[in-house]
Amino acid sequence: MRSVRAVFAVYLAVILIGIVYVTALGLMGR
Amino acid sequence: MSERSRGFLRDNALSLVFGGLFLLTLLGQAISGTADYNAQQVANGLEPVTLLEYVTSSSFGVDVMENWQSEYLQFFLYIFGTVWLIQRGSAESKKPGEEGLESDEEQRIGRHAQDDSPAWARAGGLRTAVFSRSLGLLMGGLFLLTWAASSVAGWAAFNSEQLGQRQDPVSWLRYLGEADFWNRSFQNWQSEMLAVGSMAVFSVYLRQRGSPESKPVGVAHGDTGQTG
Repeated sequence: MRSVRAVFAVYLAVILIGIVYVTALGLMGR
Repeated sequence: MSERSRGFLRDNALSLVFGGLFLLTLLGQAISGTADYNAQQVANGLEPVTLLEYVTSSSFGVDVMENWQSEYLQFFLYIFGTVWLIQRGSAESKKPGEEGLESDEEQRIGRHAQDDSPAWARAGGLRTAVFSRSLGLLMGGLFLLTWAASSVAGWAAFNSEQLGQRQDPVSWLRYLGEADFWNRSFQNWQSEMLAVGSMAVFSVYLRQRGSPESKPVGVAHGDTGQTG
C-alpha cells in the first residue's frame, strides 16, 4: 500500500500545483 | 525490470496510465493552443508567441482550469447525489430503498469497525464524521479552488483582450459578472451533467464485460447496483 500512497500524494500534489500555478499567472496579469 | 517495480506498475496501472495520458493530452493542448493563439495574433497584426510564452500565459491557464473545475464539480455532485438518489437498474446506483447514509453497521464505523478498518473510521466523533465525507469534501474543495483559479486566470486573459481592443480593463469582481466567465463555466458544466446522466442510465441496458463500471453481462436489466 506504500506505493499506492505515493501515487495518491503525486496526484494531489499535481492538482494543487496546477491550481497555484494558474492562479499565480492570473494574479501576475500574464 | 525488477519484481518490485513490476509490482508497483501493476498495482497502480490505472492511475499511472491515466496520469500519463493526462500529461500527453496537456502537451497536445499546449501545442495546439499555441497554434490557435498565434493564428489570432497574426490576424490582429500582432507578434506570434513561443510555446513557452503561451504555457506561461493566463490564456493557457484559464483553458486548463475551466475544464478541471467542471470535472471536480461533476465528481462532487455525483458522489453526494448517489448517496440520496437512485437509478433503478443502473450499475452506478445503490438499490432502491438504500437511499441515505446507511447504518453504522453497514458502513463499518465506530464499534462496528473491523480489524483492518482505517483508524478514523473507528475513532468516532468529529474524525469519523469528517472521514465519512472526505471523498466528497475533497472533490468539492477542489471544485471551489479550480473554479477560483479559472476566474483569476480568466480575468487576466479577459483584460489582456480588452487592452488589445483598446477597452478598459475590469476588476476581478466585475469579471465575475461578465458573460465570458459564465459562458466558460456553463459550457463545461453542461457536458459533465449530460455525461453523468447518460452513464447512469446507459448502464441499465448496456454491458461492458469485465468492467467494474458495468453490471455482469448476464445480470437482468432491472437489477440495480451490481457491478461486475
